[in-house]
Amino acid sequence: MADGKPDLNGLWQAFVTADIDVQDHDAQAGPHPEIMGAYGAWPGGQGIVEGGGIPYKPEALAKKKENAEKRMVVNITSDDRRHDTGDPELKCFRPGIPRANYLPFPFQIIQSTDKVIMVYEFEHALRTIYMKENDKDAPKDAPADSWMGWSHGHFEGDTLVVDSAGFVPWTWFDRAGDYHSDALHLVERYTPVSPYHIMYEATIEDPNVFTRPWKMSFPLYRRMEKNIQLVDFDCVEFVEKLMYGPYYKNPGK
Amino acid sequence: MRNRFALSSSVLAVVTALVLWAPTFVAAQASSAAAAKAAARTDTKAAANIEKAWTMPRTQDGQPDMQGYWTSLSFTPMERPAKYGGREFLTDEEMAQVFKEGVQHTYEYTYANSAETPVYDATVYALGAWQNGVKPNRRSSLVVDPPDGRIPPLTPEAAKQQEVMRKTAPPRGAELENGGVVKADVPADLGLGVRCLSFGGPPILPGAYDSNVHIVQGPGYVMVEYEWNSEVRIIPLDGRPHLSQNIRRWHGDSRGHWEGNTLVVETTNFRPGATFHGANAKTLKITERFTRLDAATIEYKFTIDDPTTWTKPWSAIVPLSAVQGPMFEYACGEGNNGLVNIMAGARAAERTAAAQAASEGHK
Repeated sequence: MADGKPDLNGLWQAFVTADIDVQDHDAQAGPHPEIMGAYGAWPGGQGIVEGGGIPYKPEALAKKKENAEKRMVVNITSDDRRHDTGDPELKCFRPGIPRANYLPFPFQIIQSTDKVIMVYEFEHALRTIYMKENDKDAPKDAPADSWMGWSHGHFEGDTLVVDSAGFVPWTWFDRAGDYHSDALHLVERYTPVSPYHIMYEATIEDPNVFTRPWKMSFPLYRRMEKNIQLVDFDCVEFVEKLMYGPYYKNPGK
Repeated sequence: MRNRFALSSSVLAVVTALVLWAPTFVAAQASSAAAAKAAARTDTKAAANIEKAWTMPRTQDGQPDMQGYWTSLSFTPMERPAKYGGREFLTDEEMAQVFKEGVQHTYEYTYANSAETPVYDATVYALGAWQNGVKPNRRSSLVVDPPDGRIPPLTPEAAKQQEVMRKTAPPRGAELENGGVVKADVPADLGLGVRCLSFGGPPILPGAYDSNVHIVQGPGYVMVEYEWNSEVRIIPLDGRPHLSQNIRRWHGDSRGHWEGNTLVVETTNFRPGATFHGANAKTLKITERFTRLDAATIEYKFTIDDPTTWTKPWSAIVPLSAVQGPMFEYACGEGNNGLVNIMAGARAAERTAAAQAASEGHK
């Protein structure tokens, strides 16, 4: 960039299988294999968690297991109980951070002087990272909780360091039910290691759920196709029957 | 904080429902406001003062800098009211009167409902003019071309189609108050906004609330984030061709370039059923021109060109006024309590009607 900062502009994508499980996992048949066959099967892969396991508190580990068991139990009410069960990805809810960074969809970084914007193809989820110190438009602490969090960033050498909090407690890390509370605090490091690669590292802290902070890391790859751009994956349209089916005039149809 | 957020979601869904079922209401409400600045330009003394005190800010790569938070909120009607005849600009007295009525109207809109319906405190959404940067506009209408300030007639085919749509549309507004029932057999019976699918745009136009955009410029790109549903357009400036006609987007496919200090954005590849004023997605082209006039104003002009829908192209100018940030995430589908309530209400109405029919049958 003209200001001497590394240029992170472009479309990026992770190629890990962490959206299925951030930890090591075998391939598995997906939901309804009797109709979905190999279309619906989930690939195996090596985890992205450093040091192996996630340091859950005992009661939180039980909740993670319950989440996994009920990941496809969707019960949509007109209040917050709609978040009690079911993977938010299944319901097309904004994926939160860090999950948005390793969903199997590209995202675009638009880097300006005072802000870095990340726009994710999945449900056009967007996060603004405020880069200016004492920005009058961007108080230090989140004025309201949100799905994509409240983020401030700065460069340490070539590394973009992003500090985020102010998350709703309803996003997960993966389909395996790994989760957090509204005390989630994230520090992410985006380090360009070539014009085509960024090494990504996130330190995850949430004293309500974990006994200590833990880290995940994986590379982001620049999408190199000529004229590549984001297109729409506005999945709200695709989940209407799943979400609101019980309220249809003819629920069976 | 979380509770308030959840409440907001439901409120927004309800408000959205009202707004999107009543496009004419929106158009009337949403009279857009901006020509104040344009008006200032016509006042040579004011213009001279502004120009002396201000130089165009530039981004790192030398483009005119339009970054920040802007509102299109306005009290100016889209089309010129007959009472102004052919006059493009208002007198000082008329301008003051339009502004005063606009403020008064939003005030009443806010407080008429608040006592019985606590979900509807519109000040939360900065409906009040004094809260959100709206300024007096000397123009008598947003439409500036044709010169009569009126949207040109529809083509005969488009008129026929829209008539069919009007006849088959579900009841709305006054029809509902007179005993009509909301048709909500499936979500597709309801508007795109009620379903959190799209709130429209381009163009950037004022709605009843949340008429804000956030502009960020990176090398080779301009991003426009709409407050409604946090919808976003990313506009490449590198001269690449449009997407293939086989890919159709909720907000179309935009390409931008600079003409002097003006950002010109052309958008095509719209999605059938999600176009401005029901235009033909296959033939609609919208051209937007953003020109920063001073620290607090962008002149935003858009031209609608769709030869299968209107008999000629037409243009409008909506001044965008700087407002304080930030703009918050608008998570819509995540908390669309309104859609649940509308559909549950429709089912309850059916049960009531069935029970009534059964009891009358017994008599």
